[in-house]
This record gives sequence, C-alpha cells and structure tokens, in this order.
Amino acid sequence: MRCTRVLLLAKEACGGPLTLGQALGLPGTVSCAQTPNMCLSRGFRTSMRKSSSNPAPTKREEKKEEAQPSQKSLVTDDFFNRFDQDCRNKATFSQVVDVFCKKDVRRRGHVEFIYAALQKMPEFGVERDLRVYNALLDVFPKEVFVPQNSFQRMFNHYPRQQECGVQVLEQMENYGILPDAETRFLLLQIFGRKSHPFLKYRRMMYWFPKFQNLNPYPMLEPLPQDPVDIAKLSLQRISADLDARITVYQMPSVEEETGITYPHIVGIQSPEQQSLLQKHSQDRPVYIEGPFPLWLKKTCVYYYVLRAELSPPGEKEEEEEIDPERNFYYPMRMDMDLERDLGDDDSFDVDEVEEGLIFAMCMVGSGDQATLAKWISGLQETNPILGHIPVVFRLESSPHEIQAVPEVEETDEEEAIQSQKMTQ
Amino acid sequence: MTVMSGFFRALTVSRRHAMVGLVCRRFLHTTPRSLAYAKQLFLGSIVKEEVFPYPEVTNEELNEINQFVGPVEKFFNEDVDSKKIDHDANIPPETLEGLKNLGLFGMQIPEEYGGLGLSNTMYARLGEIISLDGSIAVTLAAHQAIGLKGILIAGTEEQKAKYLPKLASGEHVAAFCLTEPGSGSDAASIQTRATATGDGKYFLLNGSKVWISNGGLADIFTVFARTEVVDEDGKTKDKITAFIVEKAFGGVTSGKPEDKLGIRGSNTTEVHFENTKVPVENIIGELGGGFKVAMNILNSGRFSMGSASAGMIKKLIELTAEHACTRKQFNKRLSEFELIQDKFAFMAQKAYVMESMAYLTAGMMDRPGLPDCSVEAAMVKVFSSEGAWLCVSEALQILGGLGYMKDYPYERYLRDCRILLIFEGTNEILRMYIALTGMQHAGKILTGKIKELKKGNVGVVAEMFFKKLRDSVGRKVDFGLTGEEGVVHPSLEASAKKLEENTYYFGCTVEGLLYRFGKTIVDEQLALKRVADILINLYAMTATISRASRSMRIGLRNHDHEVLLTNVFCSEAYFKNNYLMAELAKHAPENMDDSIRKIAKSVLEKRAYICSHPLERSF
Repeated sequence: MRCTRVLLLAKEACGGPLTLGQALGLPGTVSCAQTPNMCLSRGFRTSMRKSSSNPAPTKREEKKEEAQPSQKSLVTDDFFNRFDQDCRNKATFSQVVDVFCKKDVRRRGHVEFIYAALQKMPEFGVERDLRVYNALLDVFPKEVFVPQNSFQRMFNHYPRQQECGVQVLEQMENYGILPDAETRFLLLQIFGRKSHPFLKYRRMMYWFPKFQNLNPYPMLEPLPQDPVDIAKLSLQRISADLDARITVYQMPSVEEETGITYPHIVGIQSPEQQSLLQKHSQDRPVYIEGPFPLWLKKTCVYYYVLRAELSPPGEKEEEEEIDPERNFYYPMRMDMDLERDLGDDDSFDVDEVEEGLIFAMCMVGSGDQATLAKWISGLQETNPILGHIPVVFRLESSPHEIQAVPEVEETDEEEAIQSQKMTQ
Repeated sequence: MTVMSGFFRALTVSRRHAMVGLVCRRFLHTTPRSLAYAKQLFLGSIVKEEVFPYPEVTNEELNEINQFVGPVEKFFNEDVDSKKIDHDANIPPETLEGLKNLGLFGMQIPEEYGGLGLSNTMYARLGEIISLDGSIAVTLAAHQAIGLKGILIAGTEEQKAKYLPKLASGEHVAAFCLTEPGSGSDAASIQTRATATGDGKYFLLNGSKVWISNGGLADIFTVFARTEVVDEDGKTKDKITAFIVEKAFGGVTSGKPEDKLGIRGSNTTEVHFENTKVPVENIIGELGGGFKVAMNILNSGRFSMGSASAGMIKKLIELTAEHACTRKQFNKRLSEFELIQDKFAFMAQKAYVMESMAYLTAGMMDRPGLPDCSVEAAMVKVFSSEGAWLCVSEALQILGGLGYMKDYPYERYLRDCRILLIFEGTNEILRMYIALTGMQHAGKILTGKIKELKKGNVGVVAEMFFKKLRDSVGRKVDFGLTGEEGVVHPSLEASAKKLEENTYYFGCTVEGLLYRFGKTIVDEQLALKRVADILINLYAMTATISRASRSMRIGLRNHDHEVLLTNVFCSEAYFKNNYLMAELAKHAPENMDDSIRKIAKSVLEKRAYICSHPLERSF
C-alpha cells in the first residue's frame, strides 16, 4: 500500500488533477515536484537532457550546460563543486554520495543527483570504478519503485527513475564496466525483476561476456609506464612472431658530467628476418623508414622499420627445387604428371600485393639519425652483412616519442562510439 | 600344392650351400624380380605368387637354426642380468664376451669372413631371443643391422676382407653415424664435412654426430659427410659420401653416454671427428653416393623388428598368464574375468600377426635376385613397434600395480619398447614412405588413364562408369585366392574374401586419390597416413591368411587356433579398412581433416593449449 501513499503524496505535491498515467498507478509525479520544468508526456527512452543519449558526457556539453544555468539543479553545485580540481578523487566522490544519502532520509532529488554524479565522474577519475556505480545505484530508495501488480508492470512504473537507472547502466556500458552481483542485487531491490533497468542489466550481461575476450590480441591492463617496457610490448605486438628476439641496444640514461641524454633503443628481429637479410643483395640498399604510429589503447608510440625495396622481377629467386637426395626416408616429390584436381583446390584467388621485406623494427627514445644509426650498429653485431649494405635513412619529421594522452574527451568519444558499435 | 611348396623350399637359402644354391636359383629366376607385393596392392591387385604359399625353410636349415637357438636361449636365460644392465646402464664385459663367443656379432656376415652367414629368416629367428634384453638387442642391431651393413652391401672386396672378419668376431664394434644435432632425416642439414687433402689420397673429416648407438664402444664407424663433387656439367656440388672410419685414424672422440628412458644398457653417445684422416679407399660406394648407401642400409635393417617384438610379447604372455592364473580376487582367478581374457586374446593376436608379417617378409627377402622389400619391411616395423607398445601396456594392465614396480621386469619392457616407435625412422616418417612409395608406383602406371579421364575421353569415362555401376550393383571381387584353384585353405575363405574386397576397393581409392591430388599428394599427410594404415592392414591380413593356410595344410600343432586368430584379425582389419577408405573417399571438410588442421594451427600459433580453464569466469 506504499504505492497509494506515494500517490496521495504526489497528489498533494502537485495540487492539480491527476493525469491519466497517474490514475493508472504511474505516480511519476514525485519527480515532477522536484523538477517542475520537466514534461511528463516524454517517452521513456528520451530524457530531458540531451547528453543522456550521448554515451559519455563531454566537457563541451558541460560548457553548454553551464551556459544554461536554468537547467542546472542547485543540488549538483552544492555537492560536487565543493571540491577543487586537485582534490577530486574517489574518496571525495564517495564522500559526496555519502553526504547526499545522509542529508535526507527520503533522498529527495536523487534522480537529479545521480545525473549530476554521472556527469562528474570523469572529473573525479572514477568513471571506470564499478564500486562507485554501485554506490550511485544505492542512492535510489529501495523497493519504492518495484511494481506491485500486473498493471504497474505493464505500464511504465516510475519512468523517470527507471530511465535514470538505465542511464547509470548505459554509462557503465560505455566505459566497458561489467556489472556484478551487487549491481544485480541493487537493481532488483530498487526496480524489481520486470523493469527496464533490469532488462538493460540482463542485456549487458548477455553481450558483455561475449565481447570481453573477442580480441585475439588482448592488451596488458594497465599498460606499463616504463618506455622501454612499452617498446618491448609494442614491438612484440607488431612482429607477432614468437621466435622474434627483443634486444635493448641502449637503456635510457643521462650522463651527469655532460648532461647528454641517451634515449632508449629497443629492437626486434626474428631468426627468419635475419636469414632473409643475410640473403639480401649487397648492391641494393636497405632503408630505415618511419616513424609509424602504433596505438596502444590511448597511448601512441612510434616505430621504425629496416626494410628493402621490392626486388625487381628479374632478380626474384626461383623457388628452390627440392633435391631428390634430400630425405633419407621418403620421397619428397612425386614423379608423375598429374596436377591437383579442381575439386580439391581449396585455395582462394587472392590478389597479393608484394612489398619489400622488413628485416627489423625498433623503437627509440628520440627519432634522430644518430640514435637510429646506433640501432643499426647494434644490429650489425648479429647481422654482419649490414656492414656491406648501404643503409639509407628515410625519416619523416619525428614526433614526440610517447605522447601524453591527447585530449581526453576525444578519445573518450572515440572509444565510446566504438563500444556503442560493439553493443549494437 | 605340394609341388608349389617344394618349389619354394628349394628356393630358400641354405647357408651351407650358399654358393651352389645361388647358381641353381639363378636358373630358375632368370629375370630380376621387379614385382613387389605391397606395391601391387596399390593397383588393387593381389600377386598371390609372391605371398602364397607362406615361405618355408628346409629341414636342414631348421635344424641348424635350432642348433643356434638352444645355446643363445640358454645364454640369455642364465647369463644375462637384464635388471642389472638396466640399472647400471652398462652391459658387463663378460656378457659382451659371451655374445661374441656365440657369434652374435656377425650373424649376417658371410661365413667366408668369419660370420655366421645367416639368412634373413634365421636372423629374424635369433632376433626373437635377443630381444629379451632390449639393451643387448639394440647394441647388436646398431653393430650389424646398420653399423656394418654399409660394408656388407656396398663395400668393395678389399674393404670386406679388411674389416668384416674382426667385426664378425666382435673384436671390433661398429656404429652408424648419420644423425647430427641439426639433422635427423634431412640430408641437406648434414654439417659434417670431408675435404680432400692436396695429394688426393685422404679426406679430412670434421664434424659432430649425436645419439650414436655404440658410439663409445665402436672401433669402426660408418660416417656420412658432405663432400664436394663435380657433377656432369662441371659444377661443384655438395653431396653426401659414406666413409668407413676407424677409431685408430685419430681425431675421433666420443662424449659421455646419454642417460635414456629405456634401452639404458646400450651405449649412446656423441661422436666428434676432428681432422680425422680417412684414406680414399675407405669410401663406401662411390664419392657422392652416400645418400643411396644410407637409404639402403636404413631400408634393409627394419624387418627384424617384427620378430623381435613378437619374441618379447610371447615372453610377456607367459609371464602375465602365470600371474593371471594364480592371483585370486573375489574367489575367482584373474584369468576368469573376461576383461582379462580379452587382453590375452589381444596380445596373442598381435604376436601372431607380427610373427607372420616378419617371417613372410624375411622369406621374401631371402628369395633369389635382389627383391626390394623395403615397403614390406617398413610395414613390419610400424605394425610391430606399435603392437609391442600396446601389448606391453596391456600386460602392465593385467598385472595392475605389480607392473608398475621397479622390482619386477615389466616396467623395463615398457621403457625399452618405447624406442621401437622412434628409431630407424619414426613411424610417422615410415608411414609417409610406405604410402608415397606405393603412390609413386601407382601414379606411374595410372597417369595415362587418369589424364584421359580428365580430358573426358569417352571410352575411358564409359569404362569407369560401367565399372562403378557394376560395383554399386554388387560386385563379387575374386582374385582367385579361394575356390578350386585357390591358395587359401577353405576355413579361411571368409577372411580371404575380405582381403580381396578390401584390396579391390583400395585400388579404387588410390586411383581416386591420384585423380584428386595428383602429385600434390605428398602434402596430404593426413590422407597418406590412412593409405599407409590400410596397406599395413592388407599386408598383415595377407601374412596371417598365408601362414594359417600353410599351418592348416601341413597340420601344424594348434592350427585351429591360428585360424581363429586369423579370422578375428581379418574381420577387425576389414572394418578398419572400410572406415579408412570411406574417410579417404570424402573431401577434407567431411572427414574432419579441415577441423583437425584448424585446431592444430591455432594451438601451434600460440604454442600452447589455448582453451580457458574450466574454472575461469567472465563475470
């Protein structure tokens, strides 16, 4: 009977005649009292705030909102702006949530508060913290919004609250946060089994685990900080050859007397590349090319390759004929004039674009010629032939080695869009 | 029939009359025999003259073998302490001395050089007893089946006269040096090099060989090394040459004996050659002809593994039967349990098949001319080594915990016989050899026909069509094994029919494979493995049918038991063959080959088992 009581309360608060929805037991009016400028007839999936359809709130939108103070509730400012930029962290965020919960036993304005909190999460650096999301869900009053009968279930019971709950989950989804048992428990407590947030939760739980391990080349989480470690990791990723050997030709260091800094030089080469380089004609030069970018999550690193031009068609080596006296045990070649039948020719017609061979790759602390020359001289120890082949530098303007995360919001957006695509 | 068997009896080798015999045999067989039984199976035909009747030895030969068998058996039972050999990883000198005195170091060396001059059949018979100790068997095999075989089959008269007498007496031990750290079966990666000296009288040998049986004991090594050879068009090329190297030449050192899983008493070491001066006269065969020498040695040494394995299993059956008939559980002897009986039947069957195959092959090899039985020998090796492994495993199962204990000899048998699947060409490699040799043979003959078929020659296509039609209506395959003119005893008629049917359809399968894959069949290893398996089964069926027919006809003791074993084996093999051929008739996606390749590919890409742990959770 809690429901009716709420209904009565709402009636009092509004002071007006009940709309059809209210008559049917959809007391959306509680929130109506809190945000009088909100339109009741809004459909479920849309919300008053445009940003809600955007996956992750961005700074730009925040600015937009700041320009329209009328849409901003005082609650937000009160709670979140109390902290300076530098002391915004998980602890203070939790503190804010705590304060809100303790302030009013009825949790008045909690929808507002949750929207505001969602928006502020990146600023506090808690946008990827499951516990914080759970804490946020915990702000909802329990059992109030659980539909009690089939009519309530049939229609949108507390749509604003449900929508807010969905939004919390939506933001989790966009940041790739997988709900846990506690989330489930909270949602059941708050909205019940037959509710939109719980449906959203179930959909997330269906798709998330399926996509979680889809990447055949998973990234380390978190990425190492040391540039040498990052270089090792990235080179192994590009070469994708378990035989390839990583060599650190130079560790980053600073000579104290002269103040000269020695950037790191990390190279990779597989035995196969080594033998191909061995066979490379001494008349044709090899090139150092780069820098080429490689993105590791939000970090961009640059690498250089040692490569040869595509050899002219005349010089291409004929495929080596198998020596009949090769195998002591069985014939390697059939001496008969029969080709494979078309029915068993499973090969595809692939148009292959041939490229020059790549003999080695490296990542350096600074992409100047002197550093790269050091790499080549290091390579020469294992590939003596490099001493006889001319090496040509073909460098483009060198960027900063490991760039700091460029504008957060853009990558966020990018990622958000990607993850949206995924969930679709 | 009696005429036939008499005929063959006259053909088999008698070592006493080796020279005389050779002459009269030449009269009987004026043309060199080019037909070989296994190869013809690929064409779907049975050359029954090759395998029926089962080869026999003369009474004199039999007596002679028995004269050898007695003392050797006595020696192995009384003077060989296998447990000690295994434990100490060393064969005691007095045991080796005993072996030498029995002449076992020169079993196949002709009498004129001081050996026993045994025929292949007799050699196989002695192998049965020698195999009771794995370490000794391997030591002897490394000495004479491969170590000195080069001199025996490709050596000059001078080389034979110089080396064989001492090798036959066991004064010198031989070893076969082919394997290198980077080279197992790949001739191209042999690094050991022999360079001619300025005067052209010597070669300087440099390089290392690994896993050389008898490496530490040997005085004479057959070494394969790279040499520079000028070929016809004046280019210098690296080719393999075989050398006889005496330890006395200097610069030969051997590493410490390897510690092994089984055959621990045999001496396996590295052998290093450093500027070893080898005279030109010590080249085996011709300069640059080492590849053929190596192939011939390897191909000729394998057949004896069949009888050796059979000997071991027969011994195991005795030991385990004793246990099964005395140990009681639930007031019943073990032997009364059907699951135990099953194992004994299995072992008896395997031993019977191995024996039949081994002596059939040995008999074929003993025939005049130079019969090429390398495919048959390889089949014997594959079948018997795998059979031995399975049987020893089953024997251990019968014994239960007892078999696992070091106090009993059984675990040693298990360890010792594991090597059979690996050495003298791994079974995988031999399967390729078996299948590809046959495919090559069939390909040469069928190329024309298949080409016509592909071109759409009306005559050939119509012929194929009617053949298929006749097959599908229900064709009676008859190669004349049974019936009035038949060579098979009527009690084995069903088995013979199965063999005939399998053979006929095998021929069709081979034709289909050649049509589908042509010369790219070399890369279809999964198909080739099945081909090899079918062929091994066919040969095994032939051997058992032939042997059991003979036993029936001449009334050997327990011939009815042989018929039972044969019939059981043949029906099993028949079903296996049918299954394999059904798989071969399908294309890669249907017979799981594609999936198998895919699984292997993803595992090998990551070089690990890639499934998530069953306890792993995603949320």
